[in-house]
This record gives sequence, C-alpha cells and structure tokens, in this order.
Amino acid sequence: MSIIPTIGMETHVELKTNSKMFCRCHVLDTDIPNESLCPTCLGLPGSLPVPNKKAIEFITLLALSTNCSITNDGMFHRKNYFYPDLPKNYQISQFDLPVGTEGSLEVVVDGEFGTVEIERVHMEEDTGKSTHMGSGRIDSATSTHLDFNRAGIPLVEVVTKPLIKSSREAVAYIEELRQLVIDLGISEGKLEKGNLRFDANISVAHDGDKELGTKVEIKNMNSLRSLEKAIEYEISRQTKMLLNEENIIQETRHWDEKKEVTTSMRSKEGSADYRYFSDPDIPNMILSDDFVNEVKSSIPVLPSQKRTVFIDSGLSIEDANNLVKSPNWIGDLYKIVSSITNDSKTSFNWITGELQGQLRKLELKSIPSWLTAKNLSEIITLVKENKISFTSGKEILGKLIEEELVPEEYAVNNKLIQENDIDEISKMVKDVLDDNKDVLERISNGEDKLIGFLVGQIIKLSKGKVNPSVAKELLLKELNS
Amino acid sequence: MADKIDIENVAKLASLKLNEEEKQHLEKDLSMIIDHFAALSEMDLPDDKISIHPLGMHLNLAEDIASKFLTHEQALSNAPESKDGQFVVPPSLD
Amino acid sequence: MDNHKLPISKINQLFKNKELKPSELYSEVFERAANTESVIHGHLTLFQEENIQKALDADKRYEKGNNIGTLDGIPIAIKDNINISGHATTCSSKMLSNYISPYDATVITRLKNEGVLFTGKTNLDEFAMGSSTENSAYGPTKNPWDSSRVPGGSSGGSAAVVSAGSAVASLGSDTGGSIRQPASFCGVVGFKPTYGTVSRYGLVAFASSLDQIGPITNNVADAKLIFNSMNGHDPLDATSLTESKAQQPKLKNAKIGIIKELMGDGISEDAQQEVHKVAKLMESEGHEVVEVSLPLTKMSISIYYLIAPAECSANLSRFDGVRYGNRVTGNTSSEMMELTRANGFGPEVKKRILLGTYALSAGYYDAYYGQALKARAMMKKEFTDIYNDVDYLISPTTPSDPFKFGEKTDNQLEMYMSDLCTIPANLVGMPAISIPTGLSSQGLPLSVQLMSPANTDNTLLDFSQSLESLVAFSDKPAINGVTN
Repeated sequence: MSIIPTIGMETHVELKTNSKMFCRCHVLDTDIPNESLCPTCLGLPGSLPVPNKKAIEFITLLALSTNCSITNDGMFHRKNYFYPDLPKNYQISQFDLPVGTEGSLEVVVDGEFGTVEIERVHMEEDTGKSTHMGSGRIDSATSTHLDFNRAGIPLVEVVTKPLIKSSREAVAYIEELRQLVIDLGISEGKLEKGNLRFDANISVAHDGDKELGTKVEIKNMNSLRSLEKAIEYEISRQTKMLLNEENIIQETRHWDEKKEVTTSMRSKEGSADYRYFSDPDIPNMILSDDFVNEVKSSIPVLPSQKRTVFIDSGLSIEDANNLVKSPNWIGDLYKIVSSITNDSKTSFNWITGELQGQLRKLELKSIPSWLTAKNLSEIITLVKENKISFTSGKEILGKLIEEELVPEEYAVNNKLIQENDIDEISKMVKDVLDDNKDVLERISNGEDKLIGFLVGQIIKLSKGKVNPSVAKELLLKELNS
Repeated sequence: MADKIDIENVAKLASLKLNEEEKQHLEKDLSMIIDHFAALSEMDLPDDKISIHPLGMHLNLAEDIASKFLTHEQALSNAPESKDGQFVVPPSLD
Repeated sequence: MDNHKLPISKINQLFKNKELKPSELYSEVFERAANTESVIHGHLTLFQEENIQKALDADKRYEKGNNIGTLDGIPIAIKDNINISGHATTCSSKMLSNYISPYDATVITRLKNEGVLFTGKTNLDEFAMGSSTENSAYGPTKNPWDSSRVPGGSSGGSAAVVSAGSAVASLGSDTGGSIRQPASFCGVVGFKPTYGTVSRYGLVAFASSLDQIGPITNNVADAKLIFNSMNGHDPLDATSLTESKAQQPKLKNAKIGIIKELMGDGISEDAQQEVHKVAKLMESEGHEVVEVSLPLTKMSISIYYLIAPAECSANLSRFDGVRYGNRVTGNTSSEMMELTRANGFGPEVKKRILLGTYALSAGYYDAYYGQALKARAMMKKEFTDIYNDVDYLISPTTPSDPFKFGEKTDNQLEMYMSDLCTIPANLVGMPAISIPTGLSSQGLPLSVQLMSPANTDNTLLDFSQSLESLVAFSDKPAINGVTN
C-alpha cells in the first residue's frame, strides 16, 4: 500500500515597479533602513491606499501568460492579523476575486514535459523586514528590529493546485515560474534577493484515498536546493507518521537549513481566522476588455515558446530547457551557431559546456564583442571536420575570449592543424609498431591497455598533429589484421 | 438568543488584553447588541453581488511615478523605541 | 465684539474695506477662547503662537489688496482626528497622547492654501466613536447652552467652539451623524457632504465607507463656502469622486418628503414639532410637503452598528505601539501590542473593536456583516427610488434636545439610538445638513435635517440657505455671563 505525497506551492513574486503597491514611495534597494516611507506604507493614522497601475498591468501579464481567466470585476480585501512588520496589522490582498484563476504552466521535469495547474494569481503588498537580535536562535532573541522599506512593495501571489507529485516537480515549477517573470520583465527573479519566495504545502495519503491528508505548510526555504531537501524531508516525516498511524497536525513548520529538518512553530497550529472583508478604501477594480487586450498584445516571447523553438532546432527537451533557463544571450548565440554549423547538439554542448565553463573560470558574465557566432561556429566546424583536435579547439576558444582572432588563421599559425591524411598516419602507425615490437607482443597476449600507449607514441611522432581517433582507428585495424 | 460569545477568542483576534471585569461587561454588552441584530440577520435579502461602497465608485489606479515623502528622521520621529535607524520591539516569535 | 458671529463673506468684506484686520479678528476669537474654554473645554490645543504671525501675514495681504480669497484670515477649528503637520493628532485617545503628525490632511492643505488660520484642535469622542464627547480620554466638552449637558458627538468640541465663538467655523467628521448631531445640540449648522466629495486623506479612519469631513458653521452660507474650498478629487484618496454629475433637485416649488419612520416612536414631541413648523414655512413659500415612507430606516442602527465596528476593528489595528503611540512593553511583541492596546483604548473603542471583530469572524460573517452590506444596498435603492418622487427629505436631526451628562452612558442602545435620524445619510452616501430652527421646551436648541440625492450638495446648501432665512433662528448661548 504505497503512500502518495501531494504538494502545493505558494509563491510570492516581488514586482519591479518604480513605486510601491499602494503609495508612491520608491521601491529601493538600499542599506539605509526606513528610508523610503510615507504615511501609507508606514501605517500612520489617516493614511489611505491607492493601487499602482503598473503593478496591475504586471499581474495581468503574468495571469495571461499562465493561461488564467481574468477577473474583470474584482476587489481588494483586508487580511487581518497582528504582526510587528505589518504596519496596519492587516495586509491588503485579494480573497475571493483574484486577478487570475484556473491557469497552468508547462514545466520540464527530468527531461519530460509536465503541467502544473495554477489555482489563482492575486495581488497583495509586502511586509517590512524583521531582524531578530540576540543569540541568533529564533526562540531566544532579545529584541526585534524593524525596517519598513519593503513594506508595501507589490507582490503577486501564485498558488498552485495541490497536484504536484514530487520535489523535483516542485523545483522545476519554481524554475519555470522564475524564468517566466524574468522574461515578462515584471521581476528580477533573484532568489537570493528575495524577489521570489515560496512556501510548500505538503500532505501524504494512502494510494487510492479519495481525500488528501492533513496539509502542513513549510516555510523558510531560501534556495531550490533547500526546497528539494525540505520537501523530501517532510514527505519522509509524514510518511513515517502515517504508517505508524500517528496524527499529523495541521501546522506551519520551519525548514532548518543547518540541521536539515522541519521544526514545529508552536504558535501556528490550526488555521488562522483572517476575517477577510472587502477593503472599503478601494473601490471595485474593473479590468476592462480593452485593458486586458492591451496587456495581452504586449506579452513577449514566453519561455515555453522559446523552448519549442529550441526543440524544433533539434535539441532534446532537457537541453532546450537548459537554454531557456540561461541568460538570453546564450540562447541567441545558440540559434545562430546551430544554424551555421547545422549541428544543434554539438553547438549546444560547445556553448553550454566549453564556453560557459571557461567564462565561469574567468568569472566573466558575458562574452566580448569580438566573440561572435561566426567565429565560434568556425571553431566548432574545424573540430567537427577533424581539422583540429577537440583540445586545440578549446585552446583557440580560450584565446578568443582574451583577444580578437580568426580561428582558422590561429590554428595554422600555431600548427594546430591535424594530420588527417590516412596514408601519412598509416605510415606512422607502421613506424611505431616497428619500433615497439615488444609492446606489440604484450598486446597480442591480451594487454589491451597498452594500445593507448601506442596511440600516444603515434601522437608524439606526429608532434601532436595527428588526429588521435583516426590514429587509434588505423592502429586497431593494423593490429587486427 | 445567539451563541454565547467567546469573548476571549475575540479579544485574542483583536490583540486586546482584557481583565476579568472587562470580559464580563463586554460579553454582556456585546450579547445585547447582537440580539438587537436578530431582526436584521433573519431578513431574507437578495444575494446579488454588492459593492461595499454606497456609490459604487470607479477606481482610479495611480501612475507608477515614485517620489520621496518622509525623511528617515520623520519616519522614526514617533517611534517608542529605535536603534540604528530601525524600530525596536520586544522579540516577535514567528 | 461680535465679528466672529458674522457670515464669513461679511468678515471678508470688512477685511477688504480695511474696517477690520485678520489679527484683530483672531484676537477677538482667542479672547473668546480664554473666556470660555475653562467652562466648555472645546479645544484640546490652541495654536496661539503660530497664529499671531499668520494673522499678521494675512493683515499684510489685505493691506496690499492681494488676499488669497474669501477664507483668507478666517479662524477655523479642526477636530483632533484630522492631521496637521507638526502638531499632535490625539483623536482624544490615550493611545496617541504623544503623537506628532508629520503630514497634513488634504483638506488642511487646501484650507492652508486659502490662508485659513487654524485656531487649534478640538475635542471628540475617542476615535470618533460616540454621540456625546463623553468618551474623550481628556475629559468631556460641555454644551455652551447648558454646561450640565453634552454637546453631542463625536464632533462635540468642533460644534461647541463655533457655538461659543472661540472659532468662526470648524471642521468635524461624520460617520453616523457626528457632525450633524453635535451641531444640532449646540444650535449651529452642520453639513455632511456626499461620500467621496471631500478627501479622507489625513482623516483618522473610523469607518472608511461612511466617514466624511464637513464644516460646522454659524450659518449655511459659511458651510457652502468652506465645503467648496475643500471638495474635489484627491489622487491620494481612492474613494474620492472624479465625477459629480447628477440631476439637481428644484429650488423653487420643490417637493419635500417627511420621513414617516423618523417621526414616531423614539422621537420627542419637540423635535417633531420643529419639522412640522418648518414644513408649514416651506408650504408658505410654494413648496409641497408630503409624507414618505422609507421602511429600511428602521434597520439603520443594526446595519450601522455592524458595518462601522467591522471597518473600525481593522482601521484601529494599526495602533499597536510599534511605530508610534503610547507603548506598554511586554516580553514579546504580541504581548506588547495587547497591553498597549488594552491601556491606550477606552471602553467604548474596545467594545466596538470587539463587536467588529466578532461580526467578521469565521462563521459569523454571513449572518451579520454580510447581511448588513446587503441591507445597506437595499436601503440605497430605497432612497434613490424615493428621490424620483421628492426633491428633498426632511426629518429631525436628533430624537431629542441635548441630554445630560451620564444620562445615557449606562444604556448603550439608547445612546446608539441618538443617531437614528442621521445614520441613513451615511449608509447611502448622500448629503445631509442640520439647521437650527428653534428651542425646546427646556430652552435648548433643536434642528431639522434636510437630505438630497448624491452629488446635489450645492443645491442642498442653497435650498437650506433659503430655509434658514425663512426660519430666522438666531439665538445664541450665553456662557460665563458673557453674551455670545
């Protein structure tokens, strides 16, 4: 009787508007605390909220890009709870009339397509930042410091249906959503900056059970790695409990990055009573068909569409997905290089393997202007045609990153052009065999490892010019004859 | 008439600490008021979608143009306690 | 000197004709305050120091012949739930006793631009919750007509200072009658505009869908003047109207409806008499007066006492001692918030917060708050329909003349009933004005209330002005033996 896990993801996306959601304070990235505030975002008596038009455009863009139905006549609600980083002790959010509902997102999990169903996309405001002072442990702080710069920044909350089946799917989903908001231009999407934050809701049940198990919310996962580990841990914890017929409490648990466990946050058992009611400071938000159509017409190329183009060019789903999740210039480079070389896989490998690898070592984020698709393709073609060895190709690429050059010219000038002439190589094979009769004897007695030694000798004889695989091929032919 | 009001729970939701005397008075007062609402809660009213606003006003969204309002000092000017430019409160357990 | 009782336009004439200086008027008004405040306690703070200079600046402008407008140099008192930068906004609560506002309410900015002198901040029921100003944490305001009686509430201070002459006019706020009822109790004019015509930015919110700022004045013309200098769209208030087109009611041969439900049980004979008296005067002017029925007005108190507390329970959540306010510390921040709120709020405020929290809580929303919203929508329809038949509606402003201190404090429902006649206008968002028309058998002021459809404010004010001349009631209270 197997246990089936069910996961739902709640993700908050920070929008990169100029001003906050309900006031015109700057959305600032600053170290100075409490620097960008007004009566509204500080929750002073007498202040009022006025929603940000750009934020509404951005959320509509996201809702449309995830195939959601748009709520034309929606509203904002007050979500009431007390917490020091919430200036009004209610958050302006949306309850039963969110901007988008019933959407979906194509994801790639372990090289295969999947679909994550989205329940809702709604608009809300961010809270301030709390820093607990003291010994560093959450339950022995001596005081809490508050910075409200972040309070009021527009947040889009995306909630999936509880239909995600594995930690890998959850990670793939977050990666896809992140790429989407970056490509739409609505968020920086940097996890380490908190532009994208997520909580996971996890339950387990016996296979065949009609109802889902008790839902547990997991918070404080700050990276994709911790997301995956936290989900795995929690599924395991709940599975054990279910098998032991222990009662799983509906609660919020905290992922402890150091100990790699989820721990109970005692104060958050059961579900809170937020007493939602429609915000009397904000009239109904009517999104006209004209408005929605205008936003629709501004949807740029989506990650899923880019992926299709890459797949059509000959790449696997996994490789295509990799390009989609890479910076734009990589995908753009790939497109041109693969069409020049007419070899999608090799182009992909060179760009994502060699080129990105070398850039990473040199701590460069992008290629110099003289490193064009044309001269990269030249290197690739030289290698493909066996005119130079793969190692020589890498060398030329390395040099090309440093300075402008013409690959074939460089190869010639540096004597990297390989010997590919069969007759020439056959001669060398014979010469080496003649000079290494004892090794030949040992090989015929079964010491196959020494074939490599002979190949090495041929390469030495050719002063590195011979194409190693051709040499090996001819050597084997000679040996077998 | 109506269910007995769980005044402690309501006070907790409202983040109000009440003493015993207050709890008793308030429970009595609130029950009286709630009973007064009985006639209203029993009315059969149509379920059309209603706007909270009496005049069903139109929402004017604001242009995304940022400007500075309060200085750092003004923001902290009424803070009961502050340190290093931040507001300070007793520890808030999550 | 009686200049402070003259219509503002007349004062402005005197200024322009150099028969009077703003600084002289201000001295007069300040002297009235000195003579009356010890009895009335209408002002919580007086802005004397800054006003001396401001009055002199106004003097100079009139001297040069370039005064800003009609309101330049006029002393107006401001209810202490309206923010003025650099000054305390206490809302008559212990919670905000040390709070200095860093910003101006929009109405203040607009009046400042007109050259208005703010006499100071006036007393109110704490956070505008009450009908007598007995709920102030700083002591009650006394009615200038009889200091053993309440001035009404929640804008008791604002009404009392105009009545007593320590301001030429004042601003109040009205959620369920808080401008009109105290105006009635103090024998002055109180006007609540159409919801959305006067910006709420900077008004400490009580019930967001009901609150409006409005003028309390000696006469209707002054109310009209002040209203028109404050009204108009404010981009900082999302509920502020951009359009105000409406079919205007008639000024001549108008049809006025007496609301049947506000003329029976619970309304004193004296109050009903005033309405009849005024009806007769209107008929003599060629208007038609009929009786109309608005059955849902009987539900007003229930609807109001669900919607207002629900909204206020959330509006007052921000008072937690974190960023401002009188903090009472605790071991944890949640303890600190609970103690700060327990200590800072008075009993009536706590009661309404709890009532509102309860009405919104899980399992109760539909039966209470949800029902109230539906009933309110129906009530609005009832009013809109009736205005197809009549131009204006008339009723008493209050069920009775001003009651004595302590008379209603033990009976909450009776206290709430004092708003019976005024609440409907807030629920439906339509304009309403209270005009003093006579004295009760006890010699205390009585008023009638006129109402009209949404966005007919200036027509209502014009019609009320003609009614005011007809009624010609000009009695003033005497305080400290000094006639006013």
